[in-house]
Amino acid sequence: MNDDVPFWNPYLETMSREELETLQLKKFRRIVKWAYEKSRFHRSLYDAAGLRPEDIRTMEDVRKVPKVEKSMMRDIQRKDPFPYGDALCVPLDEVVEFRQTSGTTGQPVYQPDTWQDWEWWSECWATLLWAQGYRPRDRVFLPFGYNIFVAFWAGHYACEKIGCEIVPGGVLDTKARLLKMQEVRATAMMATPTYVLGMAEVATKKLSLDPARELGIRRITCAGEPGALVPSTKRRMEQAWGAKVYDHTGATEIGAWGFECSAQPGALHVNEAMFLAEIEDLDTGEAITEPGRTGKLVITALDRIAQPCIRFDSKDIVKFGVDPCDCGRTYRLMPGGVVGRADDITKVKGVLLAPSAIEDVVRSMPGLGDEYEVTVEKRGDVDHILLRVELAQGTTDSKSVTEALATELRVKTNLGYEIQVHPYGSLPRYEMKAKRFKDLRYIG
Amino acid sequence: MKQNDMAGRLHLSLMSSKVEQLKEAAEWLRVHSEEFPAVNRNAKRILASVAMLQINLGADEA
Repeated sequence: MNDDVPFWNPYLETMSREELETLQLKKFRRIVKWAYEKSRFHRSLYDAAGLRPEDIRTMEDVRKVPKVEKSMMRDIQRKDPFPYGDALCVPLDEVVEFRQTSGTTGQPVYQPDTWQDWEWWSECWATLLWAQGYRPRDRVFLPFGYNIFVAFWAGHYACEKIGCEIVPGGVLDTKARLLKMQEVRATAMMATPTYVLGMAEVATKKLSLDPARELGIRRITCAGEPGALVPSTKRRMEQAWGAKVYDHTGATEIGAWGFECSAQPGALHVNEAMFLAEIEDLDTGEAITEPGRTGKLVITALDRIAQPCIRFDSKDIVKFGVDPCDCGRTYRLMPGGVVGRADDITKVKGVLLAPSAIEDVVRSMPGLGDEYEVTVEKRGDVDHILLRVELAQGTTDSKSVTEALATELRVKTNLGYEIQVHPYGSLPRYEMKAKRFKDLRYIG
Repeated sequence: MKQNDMAGRLHLSLMSSKVEQLKEAAEWLRVHSEEFPAVNRNAKRILASVAMLQINLGADEA
């Protein structure tokens, strides 16, 4: 096989817009019909809306289908069959994979998949890994705790599908993982941005190992957090590892829907052959089709059958881009990727604040380490933002860093902050999803 | 080869018909192996891969 071809699927990834929309509509109609016929939850949801599957004839009709929220999934799984509930569309003995959400925003949601679904998961991942340059000659190290969270499981199986050699770095501590990567000369890895930076810190501080010079990692795929498309965070990771860092986004209930390609356009491609992405205005809920306008992502996994994901309210804040990508794919771009969450973006002192904007400022600041924490609370009737940052290793002048940080934050976010500067190594470290933004204003 | 031009479409069509033959063979094995788990379960996995082939070729049924 020719490994130099640029596309995993040259047919789907270069379709014209018209062909893509025809394919999406065909698949959307099919998955709605499937869910209506196979799941009590979907049938009652659509019946209550007066909708029959055959009512969907055009792309405009898609918006007639009721959205599904995460909270609905939690209610569903209290019903039979245990443990998934009545959104399940296949007999229980067809389910071969259990995963669950991390519970970052509440009670975890269980996710069943058939073997066909699992093939589909790894296919979506194979698409993105191929686009990021993974080839059969790669030896890929996976430093994650193979467990109930979907995390990089599908990345593992996608590597097998592509033909890469997988080195599973499961139950090892960070030092052991780094030494194993060096020992086997791994060429690529996958992790959250937080852990990519954390591993580099452990390598330099505890192993006296410079990842950029002494490990042969050429590419890193990030997921779980938006950092790989936050310019300053991407830059820190690429410098620390001497590697190209690519973003990918997805969710347990949805699938791996977006990816950055090797052209690194500062944007995510939506895998439009497998997903239908809609964007809604945050306030009015009206459809946004034009480029450049930010809204909330409502997404459908077009081929997932065990527990369909149809018009799922992802709460991810995104926008469509304008230009086609240099890579040649016709899949639409979302500049900046997921720039926030509808439940994270919040008004502070009347100003809209996205946590990723703070991250970009902190990590672009020389003299500061990678870790930070933001707490928003009420002091009397006034919103107050406390930002705790760490000095970089070897930096002692906190006064000038604080002044520069305050100025830059004022310029970039239009808000004032109480800034606390802490010694290097004193803020918490995370291995998976970090929770650095805490809004305590509405907690009794 | 560009998959979306005329020659590419003929090639896709040929690939799709081969996938259909694979599906028929795997389905036959599955149906005729109720007492033979080693064949039955592997045939089921082949059918899952066949479904993925059909999705990749845009040849999955509407």
